[in-house]
Amino acid sequence: MVASGPTEPDDDGPPAQGGGGADGDLPEAAGRRLGGSSFSSGLTVPDFAACLQMGLEPVGLVQGFCVMQWGWYGSGSPYMRGMTPYAFGGNAPRGAYSETYSCPHGGYVYSNEHRIWGQNYQQPWVESAWAQGFGSAYARMVEEAAEVGAHGIIGVVDTTRHLADMNVTEFHILGTAVVVQGGAAPPGGTPWTTYLAGQRLAKLVEAGYMPVSVVAALSSVRVWAYCVTEMLMEGTLSRFGGGYLPVSEVEQLSRAHIAARSLAREHVRSQLGNDTLQGASIVANTQSLAQGDEVIECALRGTRVRRFKDFDPLPAPRPTVRLT
Amino acid sequence: MSEPTRAGAAPADTDLRAEMRQAAASLGSPSHDPPGRAVTSDLSVDEGLLLHSIGWEAVDVVFGSSVVSIPPMVWTWGSGEITAASEAHNQAVRSAARHLEEQCANVRGHGVVGVRVEVEVQRHHVDVELTGTAVRPVRGKDRSSPFVSDLSARDFTLLHNAGWGPIGLAFGASFVYAPRRSMGTTMRQSSQNVELTNFTEAMYAAREAGMEHMQRSALDMGAQGIVAVRVSEGPMWFANHAIGFTAWGTAVRLEAESHQYLRPEVVLPLDDAVVEFEAQSLR
Repeated sequence: MVASGPTEPDDDGPPAQGGGGADGDLPEAAGRRLGGSSFSSGLTVPDFAACLQMGLEPVGLVQGFCVMQWGWYGSGSPYMRGMTPYAFGGNAPRGAYSETYSCPHGGYVYSNEHRIWGQNYQQPWVESAWAQGFGSAYARMVEEAAEVGAHGIIGVVDTTRHLADMNVTEFHILGTAVVVQGGAAPPGGTPWTTYLAGQRLAKLVEAGYMPVSVVAALSSVRVWAYCVTEMLMEGTLSRFGGGYLPVSEVEQLSRAHIAARSLAREHVRSQLGNDTLQGASIVANTQSLAQGDEVIECALRGTRVRRFKDFDPLPAPRPTVRLT
Repeated sequence: MSEPTRAGAAPADTDLRAEMRQAAASLGSPSHDPPGRAVTSDLSVDEGLLLHSIGWEAVDVVFGSSVVSIPPMVWTWGSGEITAASEAHNQAVRSAARHLEEQCANVRGHGVVGVRVEVEVQRHHVDVELTGTAVRPVRGKDRSSPFVSDLSARDFTLLHNAGWGPIGLAFGASFVYAPRRSMGTTMRQSSQNVELTNFTEAMYAAREAGMEHMQRSALDMGAQGIVAVRVSEGPMWFANHAIGFTAWGTAVRLEAESHQYLRPEVVLPLDDAVVEFEAQSLR
């Protein structure tokens, strides 16, 4: 359920998942192209100039792709999607988030359609599939960089898009492979990676942080609304209280939204060890399926950085007024 | 590619290259930070450095969410404020801010800065999402009631240096009916360019009530004022005869003995003036 950069010898956290299948599958043409005498770079001209100032020599634009199908594989499949694993007596994955809500009205006494039961639950199979797609694309990009002897990859950009009407997602990740002039090869020969480039990367290093890897994770929470959530969300007349339902918090949904974001944060944190996540970007997407039924997905990404020198307080900045 | 050579290169270049080499070599060693909970932050590098300059640091990315229901049939006919909708909106923000404060307190933060406020008003519910970074002084003691602020880390630093401190997110919303015109008035005005006073008056009523709610929420927190107030107003797609007005900002209080004047330095950029296109030159 997490995807990130290299697993290092000193890492205390769990090993990165999802990179499987990428080793040794660099296309032959890519190997020939990367072995050429010229370099390519995805950096802007200012970032390119800043890169040279820092002693980083661009050696090639490196990329990784992975296309994943979101299928329905039946109950028990690791990629199962679209139905609850708990409905047929399935066991919740150990440690996964789930909360159950029960009808306070007496259940089927009123109607067979009355939702006597509701649940919020984490969908680790969706998270794993996303991590496999992202992780494979990432591993392929890093493999290209290692092929050309790069020490790191800067200015990483990743995109995830759905291909039309096919229930298929394309993961694409690219960056500029660089060599640190006069620097040692990275531990294990695996290049470090960062979303930063140019001036922002220079400031990071000057502040005493070194990028370790880009880190990204997706969390997925499914909401099966129970009767109270359904009625509050569709604004139905309450048949049980004899009047309108009052203004009230939809507890089940509020908790699901917080859970989705917190899970994404914990997935990323599990990859940080004792390092720091810098410049986190959080994108949440809610897909409404029916009144109160939702799938909430939250993607969190950023650069894992490590402090390489002690905290050095900066002088207080001087406020300025521009005469323009 | 060979190393670029340039006559008179600044000494800082050499230092930066040496730092880069030192940084790259450090990847084989553990972090200089003491072992503990990993820090997450959505602040930029600049913002992190600015916080460090006043002795503060990021602790964790924190979230607050709330979905509050609006009873049925409140949007259609009536007059005056739609109190159920206003109440739902204000309750959703209060609840989301409370979740944010709880998460901040759990990681021993003193407050949350750079809070991104996302509000969605639907016919039957209001959704509020708040996201920000919990921060604290580097060697500060725990604080019992964390603050929530939508000020950027840059603005927070400026406010701090001026002797003020944020204490919370002040929020106010109001929804007001724009009464329907009579059949006769509608017919008479159909061919006129005329102000629709029902909507203008509804807008004024919503603004007054919304601003009142916001100021009251700030006073309840013990604030002396609200900075960086933002407003949004207009009709909702599902309610043609209702006007909504929302205002929010950061409630602040003077923490120093008196306001600290910053005395900014005047800077005259030596850039070329921008040459703008002038339509008159075509005559």
